[in-house]
Amino acid sequence: MIPSSPQPLALDREAIAQPSNPLGLDGIEFIEYASAKPQALGQVLEMMGFRPIARHRSREVTLYRQGGMNVIVNAHVPALPSGVLPADKPVLAAVALRVRDAAAAYAHALDKGAWAVPPRVEVMELNIPAIHGVGTSRIYFVDRYDKFSIYDVDFVPIPGVDPHPPAVAGLHFFGLVQYIGNDRSDDWTEFYRELLGFVPLPPEQRFGILPKGRILKSPCPAASTFYLQLIEPEASVLDVRSDEALQRIGLGTPDVLAAVAALGARGVAFVESRGVHTEGRGALTTTWMGSVSFELVHDARPAGAQEG
Amino acid sequence: MGHDSGNIGDFGMDTVSLAGPLEAKLQAVREAGFGQVMLSAGDLVGHPGGLQAAVAAVRASGLRVTGFQVLRDFEGLSGHLHAYKVDIAKSMLEMCAALGCRLLLVCSSTSVHATDEPAALAADLRKLAMLAVPMNIQIAYEALSWGRSVNQFPQAWELVCAADMPNLGLGLDAFHLLASGTPLDDLELLDAHKLFLVQLADFMWLELPSAEARIETARHFRVFPGEGVHSAALAALVTRLHALGYRGDYSFEVFNDDYRQMPLPTVAQRARRAAQWLGEDVLRRSVPLPNQMRLRR
Repeated sequence: MIPSSPQPLALDREAIAQPSNPLGLDGIEFIEYASAKPQALGQVLEMMGFRPIARHRSREVTLYRQGGMNVIVNAHVPALPSGVLPADKPVLAAVALRVRDAAAAYAHALDKGAWAVPPRVEVMELNIPAIHGVGTSRIYFVDRYDKFSIYDVDFVPIPGVDPHPPAVAGLHFFGLVQYIGNDRSDDWTEFYRELLGFVPLPPEQRFGILPKGRILKSPCPAASTFYLQLIEPEASVLDVRSDEALQRIGLGTPDVLAAVAALGARGVAFVESRGVHTEGRGALTTTWMGSVSFELVHDARPAGAQEG
Repeated sequence: MGHDSGNIGDFGMDTVSLAGPLEAKLQAVREAGFGQVMLSAGDLVGHPGGLQAAVAAVRASGLRVTGFQVLRDFEGLSGHLHAYKVDIAKSMLEMCAALGCRLLLVCSSTSVHATDEPAALAADLRKLAMLAVPMNIQIAYEALSWGRSVNQFPQAWELVCAADMPNLGLGLDAFHLLASGTPLDDLELLDAHKLFLVQLADFMWLELPSAEARIETARHFRVFPGEGVHSAALAALVTRLHALGYRGDYSFEVFNDDYRQMPLPTVAQRARRAAQWLGEDVLRRSVPLPNQMRLRR
């Protein structure tokens, strides 16, 4: 809001993290990949500990889960805006945020200058409100996650599969890394602050082993909070393409080395180079299918936070 | 470029000065030695091949698009009028993005239906800038000298500051500054990094006492810098802006009915003379070295 009184706002003077959470944001409900190779991507996800638990009623869409994390693989043709065919390289196409009231969150975002994503709903399917995010990605607002699940409506469970597979080494959503263009950190900081209530962390506060860029903290309660990491091109890169996109998922774990060992036993390889290598603070998986990687970050959640 | 070529890289033409189809305008601008051009929405939607053909022509020209104009009467509306203007703004932003253009020009409202409440005006500009964030577009807000409540650049600057968005800045049109007699000392208010575009034009008479006279002159009788009677003021303006740290683009915003019935190369040569005068005699820009890198801020 614009101050109309002569009293200066604290926000104008210093970066005090505001505790407010106007939308009642409460973590990530699901993260969606779009891919023309859903089976290959599914194999990667299973290696990372996810299990396919349900299929969409009308589209080529599969729900994967481990612990409290839901990942959707969307191979449906109009998965991306303007009918772009899903590429061979999977892309992070959407993130769904849990909010107190999805309709109110959607209205708030549009009022502040978000772009509405036109709904593409089939008969008897849920109309989940969405706004445009970075690149071709979308941000969904979901408020039915407590007593009633959105997946009960649109998905059919895969028979004989445990619908609540446990998480490997306490893995949970920690955040998303977003690649942005030159001099774009301030733009995106304002976007997430105004529409969703994120606040930037001071530069000295960093997680994991890849500290570059600016980190925004969600206003969620501690048990469900997550982070966005905005990364501009290297200063030495002059002719960088200005494409912006969600780049990778960050997974929190109370014990990075145990998680690396457990995932390693499942076939996951981790980057070991001079700049990046596995340690207690974090680790980075190799990249599969040209675009899919996961970052592990040391993060002990309060008890019960990993439940779905 | 010939032996007389100076550094005119900071200057560009605007298609409003030229008659004819888009391709002819782009060719004339290019052949006069300019590297950038300011485009209007009409250039795209009026193209016989449609929007995509127009975008292709611009890309093929090799010219950088200085900015895209113009969103009018946006701020200060409410209810269905606001919703309507948001829709218009989104269409403008989509065309701007299709061009690969990074700047949308917005001029201050003249609408009698708009409020003059500064907080409401700033909130609308903030929302417009927010709409532009995902497309990586900057919004340059300009004070029209006949704007209803914002008609001098210091007022526009106050709103830009109040709206406080990183991709919202000021557009400065020298015509309006000269026409409304805004003191050049007011430029000291500005932060050069938040000055996103400077448009330059001269005109032939000394004073424009009424809003009607300003509108009439602005739309029909502007001339290129150095061709009118305000050369000294324009030279002082660009010198002050340079001293302030402004290193962005200068676009010749010259609406002139005579120019629009002259051969395009003739008009473009007049623009080139203006650019050479400003670049060499006023700013004394050196010719860039080959393969010069432009450093980031």
